[in-house]
Amino acid sequence: MSLLRNLGSGLRSLFRKEKVNRELDEELGEYLEMAADEKMKQGMSRRDALRAVRLEGGSLDGAKEIVRAGGWESIVDALWRDLLFAVRMLRKSPGFTFVAILTLGLGIGGNTAVFSVMNTVLLRSLPLPNPQQLVFLRLPNDPPTGVSSTGDSDRSFSYPVFDALRNEHAVFSDLMAYVPLAVGKVAVRIGEGPEEAEGDMVSGNFFSGLRVSFTRGRGFTLKDETAHTSVAVLSYSYWTTRFGRSPSAIGQTIYVKGIPFTVIGVTAQGFYGLEPASSTDFWIPLQNRPELNAWEEEPSPDNVYGNPKWWCIQLIGRLEPGITESRALAKLDPIFQSATLIGLGTPDRKAKKSILAFSSTQGIQGLREDYQNPIHILLAMVGLVLAIACANVSLLLVARNSTRAREFSLRMALGAGRTRLLRQMLTESLLLVGGGAALGWMFAMSGSQALAAWSGVEIPFVLDSRVLFFTFVISIACAIVFGLAPLRSAVGVPVGVTLKTSKATAYRDRKSSWSGKVVVASQMALCLILLVGSGLLVHSLRNYQTLPLGLRVDGLLVFGTSPFSVHGAEEKEHFYENLLARLRAEPGVESATLISHRLGSGWGWNSVWAIDGVKPQGPFSEMGMSANDVGPDFCHTLGIPVLRGRDITDADSRSAPKVALVNETFSKRFFPKGDALGHSVGELENRFTIVGVIGDSKYKRVDEKSKPTLYFPYTQHPSIANMEVELRTPSNPDALIPGVRAILHDLDPNLPMQKPMTQRAQFDESYSQARLFARLSAFFALIAVLLVATGLYGTLAYRVGRRTSEIGVRVALGAQRQQVLWMILRESFLVTGVAILAGVPLAIGGSRLMRSMLFGVQPGDMISFLLALFGVILVALAASIIPARRAAALDPIVALRYE
Amino acid sequence: MPDKSSDVVQGTLDMLVLKTLALEPMHGYGISVRIEQMSKGVFRPNTGSLFLAIQRLQRDGLIDGEWKATENNRRAKYYVLTKKGRQRLSSETREWGRQAAAIARILEAS
Repeated sequence: MSLLRNLGSGLRSLFRKEKVNRELDEELGEYLEMAADEKMKQGMSRRDALRAVRLEGGSLDGAKEIVRAGGWESIVDALWRDLLFAVRMLRKSPGFTFVAILTLGLGIGGNTAVFSVMNTVLLRSLPLPNPQQLVFLRLPNDPPTGVSSTGDSDRSFSYPVFDALRNEHAVFSDLMAYVPLAVGKVAVRIGEGPEEAEGDMVSGNFFSGLRVSFTRGRGFTLKDETAHTSVAVLSYSYWTTRFGRSPSAIGQTIYVKGIPFTVIGVTAQGFYGLEPASSTDFWIPLQNRPELNAWEEEPSPDNVYGNPKWWCIQLIGRLEPGITESRALAKLDPIFQSATLIGLGTPDRKAKKSILAFSSTQGIQGLREDYQNPIHILLAMVGLVLAIACANVSLLLVARNSTRAREFSLRMALGAGRTRLLRQMLTESLLLVGGGAALGWMFAMSGSQALAAWSGVEIPFVLDSRVLFFTFVISIACAIVFGLAPLRSAVGVPVGVTLKTSKATAYRDRKSSWSGKVVVASQMALCLILLVGSGLLVHSLRNYQTLPLGLRVDGLLVFGTSPFSVHGAEEKEHFYENLLARLRAEPGVESATLISHRLGSGWGWNSVWAIDGVKPQGPFSEMGMSANDVGPDFCHTLGIPVLRGRDITDADSRSAPKVALVNETFSKRFFPKGDALGHSVGELENRFTIVGVIGDSKYKRVDEKSKPTLYFPYTQHPSIANMEVELRTPSNPDALIPGVRAILHDLDPNLPMQKPMTQRAQFDESYSQARLFARLSAFFALIAVLLVATGLYGTLAYRVGRRTSEIGVRVALGAQRQQVLWMILRESFLVTGVAILAGVPLAIGGSRLMRSMLFGVQPGDMISFLLALFGVILVALAASIIPARRAAALDPIVALRYE
Repeated sequence: MPDKSSDVVQGTLDMLVLKTLALEPMHGYGISVRIEQMSKGVFRPNTGSLFLAIQRLQRDGLIDGEWKATENNRRAKYYVLTKKGRQRLSSETREWGRQAAAIARILEAS
């Protein structure tokens, strides 16, 4: 009660200051009058009486001050006045204020943006209730041998395993299954034209178990799963981008690969599904139609819905409250082990057992492992930028405060307390930090969007409360680092000295100029570390960009097709023959071919094939091969040289003798004598004759080592997969897109052109992470260079300015221009030398930590180090030449009259 | 001008104000005069300290203030002890008695 009353009364004094003051005046006035009346009764005159009262009880104004200073509100009041004063002082030097706030804003903004990436990728929980209960199920040992698995083999389970585990209610309150309809996007049609969208098939309890809330409509039920109903749920972002948040989206039909689904709900904002780094557009219940097979796999008896050998579905469980992960796994293991055996016949006793494990749902699964180390390094780099920025602002403040030394001395002489001055300056610092943090937050908002776009992560890097807290903490750290350090020197100056000295010979001790040099030297050392780091990353990026791919990558357009209404191998062959013929006739198309696994997409087909009916024995790392199904003119279109034999042609049809191409690595590994032609490869029964040896080319990504690779004509398998089309053009590949789209529409109006892009852009995607980090680090290094240059320039210019009279005396006494020039330059060279001595060992240590991010370049790379050293020296020279020349050009007469 | 009055012992002014108001509601000047009279001129509170104490007591809810006319037809703010103030006075009086007795015992012993 009394606290509230105290607060209320204090607030009243703050906001109704006038009234409260008047009341106090009146009360004290009455007091004075009454006391004076008393005295007058004893016979004093009124004047004497008033005087006597004042002498006895203290002056009225003094009393007022005492009473006013007694409440807590007086502190607030004083702080408010400090703040107003600080604003006034900062407005008086707008240049300083602008530079300081901009510098801090860049530092704080960079840190916040990078932290927002770290937050999203590594830290953030799923935006669902009680996210700590959610775990992904994993197979660290891969599924048992003899099953059909997906590219995500360490996280894909079979339907019987899901059924067995989902009933363990003692462990899971809910176990949810989800599986993508395709590796990337799937063909959908909503209105007239065909489109692509990313869709998952999910178990009936997917939304209820995750506790996803809904903006519109409802989620699925178990009945939807068992009856495979044709209903769909949209994600909020897809609803926004594709439907413009129209309420009429509910009830609309979307055709997924030509099959109609009715939209029944829209999830709440912020839920992007569970696919790593991409945002799911829609969900449908698990489907048993072969057309909607998981992962868009070509249906075969071994990989259709429900088949125990088809390990394709991914699982996420909500643990019962209170159960530990190890206890849960112990309970699940026997059930899991017996469920894995379903449908496999007698298990091989020697085979490695699959084991069940959990993985955290924090951050983005899949990306977490790849990004962990790089993000910490980036955060360290941007932290260095912030340190440099703080140092710069602190140098600025020191310079500013020392020119204000006379003002401070005057104020102290007039009776201001030392703490009062300190508080005043701290307020100014806090104000600068506040401005910097606000600006930094704005930078971070746009910066994190740019980062999301660059990194190819579809989930926005949200600036949530954790990021806000981070920004707050680093801002406070900034304020402490640069706000407090310069204060001592400013108020430590003896009053008399400053007031008595003239400006030119103003009080300056050696220590303060020395500490300024230390700050600049450490800035330069940090800058050197940043330059080395970014040099290494840029060098790595250059290596990615200039790596020979083994094919003519420019002038190629690639796009995907999924002719879902075409069934059977013959019909499909006919479809693709027809498509190729149409495309070849298209103006601008030089040649066209097909490929089952798009080059540079990260996806591939790995196995061990038999050579002349014998499977090579040995570890997979040595004997493993890759393969791709390709169309006619494959080598010709992609520009891969045919070393011996021939290319695949139109004649290699379904009925023709089975043939294959091998790459050079294959030929060298398995036919060292160079006699690969005429031998056979393939399954034990199903043999393909090698008719050509072709040059090595990149398959899954740019930085892979070349692997023995086989190329089969796409027509010569029992079934035909959905193919990617590669077009060679002498002009701009993107210009072909409209014509191709028309051809596809002509063949089947439901058929979208899937992810069309140049082959160059597709290969670039395989090192997008390296590009992101190289760009960012180069950007940070650039900021660091600018900051260091301005910091050094500012320090030197300021010192030259203060030494004007001294230099004037020197020149008047006969010092040569060169001597003056050298005097100033020597100082900056000395600082640079110390910085290099300190920075190089640190940079060597730092670059070692970056080893995993480097490609084709060693951490101790001489060129990167030399360039960084050169950069630092150049910066030092550029920053010091202007003040040095100015000093050298001083006219002694003017300098001596400078006061 | 000779001034025999001494400063009030640190922290006891609040208690003295409460005691004064326990007898009857009083304005600021009245409190000051009453304290001087009751202490036989030993204590004469400084105006600032007195009003600071009044503000403090008021904020703690121990006294309440109200503007009224005085007998001399002036307007003054009269302060009155609240229930809480009365309780505080009695507890502080007891505590003071205990402490004073203890201090006296120590001083006599030496």
